Amino acid sequence: MAEPIVKYNKVTKYFDDLQVLDEIDFEIQPGEKVALIGPSGSGKTTFARLLMMLEEITDGTIEVEGEYLWHEKDDKGNLKPASSEHQRKVRSNIGMVFQHFHLFPHMTVLQNIIEAPVTVQGRDKKEATKAGKDMLDKVGLLDKADAYPAQLSGGQKQRVAIARALVMQPKVLIFDEPTSALDPELVGEVLEVIKSIADEGEASMLLITHEMDFAKEVADRIAFFDGGKIVEDGPPSDILYNPQSERLKDFLERFMNTQ
Amino acid sequence: MVWDWSYAFDILPEIASALSVTISATVVGFILALVLGLIWTLLIRSTNKIVHHVANGIVRFIRNTPLLVQLYFIFYVFPSIGIALDPFTAGVIGLGVHYSTYLSEVFRSGIESVGPGQWEVATALNFTKRKTWTRIILPQAIPPVIPVIGNYFITMFKETPLLSAITLVEILQTAQNIGASTFRYTEPLTIVGVLFLVLSYPASLLIRRLELKIAERY
Repeated sequence: MAEPIVKYNKVTKYFDDLQVLDEIDFEIQPGEKVALIGPSGSGKTTFARLLMMLEEITDGTIEVEGEYLWHEKDDKGNLKPASSEHQRKVRSNIGMVFQHFHLFPHMTVLQNIIEAPVTVQGRDKKEATKAGKDMLDKVGLLDKADAYPAQLSGGQKQRVAIARALVMQPKVLIFDEPTSALDPELVGEVLEVIKSIADEGEASMLLITHEMDFAKEVADRIAFFDGGKIVEDGPPSDILYNPQSERLKDFLERFMNTQ
Repeated sequence: MVWDWSYAFDILPEIASALSVTISATVVGFILALVLGLIWTLLIRSTNKIVHHVANGIVRFIRNTPLLVQLYFIFYVFPSIGIALDPFTAGVIGLGVHYSTYLSEVFRSGIESVGPGQWEVATALNFTKRKTWTRIILPQAIPPVIPVIGNYFITMFKETPLLSAITLVEILQTAQNIGASTFRYTEPLTIVGVLFLVLSYPASLLIRRLELKIAERY
């Protein structure tokens, strides 16, 4: 098997005295699509946010393409907290789509998409604009290039947010409950876009979701979180149809009942 | 008390010419207040506890002591520690520093109105700290507070006569000088009031229009 693109090593996270992640080991292979499921408060969102560096890691290490994300080696080879330059360099491999989109309200759709490529990656504006328009076309919103976020529906906003993350060409793309904030009738269009990206996909995906059917369809692997640990981890068919642990059985049962 | 039109027209040019001092003190003082106000805000937001507390303490101290006392201090006490300033410089510094503490509060409220999601997405898109401020946060934080900033500008303009207390010959001082030499105060002081009104009323209308324009956009 190829080298994993992401490697969690005994990752622990506390919020003050509350432990949310307990010595988690986890790997993502290049191009692999992994869905994270589990009850709310089980740690799956924190798990993903640590990879995007939106939370401080308490203990353990995360490697991206063989480089430490939160740490650097000093002259003697010991780990020390990474400088912000090092963090930014390693973090540039990761992208994220948020539950609440977080588009820049003061920019048009196209500006939203090309802002980071130009400002952060230093790409040529013409090239970035072309790449941005290609992305907009891919998510079916080329006609909205000059609209402001306030003029879009929730589903359209999320599709723009996806295009904005994609144009940065991340090697790992995190989706944090991308459809949870949407009206039911808008969920489909967003899932469809995510699925088409997954199908094309060189990028690895880490997908936090409550849409089990979708997880089954898109993911190569599902990891079930409970109580700050990964309780089960395997192919969708095993996880969803042949759960081993009581906790996963309970979770799936409760989930089916509420559907 | 009789209003003498010809006397009023005689002294009008002299008082009006002092307006340039009033206006330049306002403009320079306000630019100082804007820059310093933003610096206060950023220092107060610092994650370094010492920087936070020191900046916060200074801002509170300045905001809760009278401008007139501060002006006297800068003009009459600073020379004893070797900093002798001319009235204009001392006045501009006094106004600028005093108003920077109010503007810092305005900037703070503007910045806090930008949700945490914008900071997170800036991290996710790998923005540097600086670019996060200049491209994402400030462009959203400033426009909604522009009307409040404008109101402070007008308030500060109307406070410039305080600078006459540190011997700056702005329009109030000019009017007083005229009054003192002719023993007629009605016309010069009325002219001062009217000049302030003529400038600040249209300015406040302009700010009102700006406010509506901004409300439309957001």
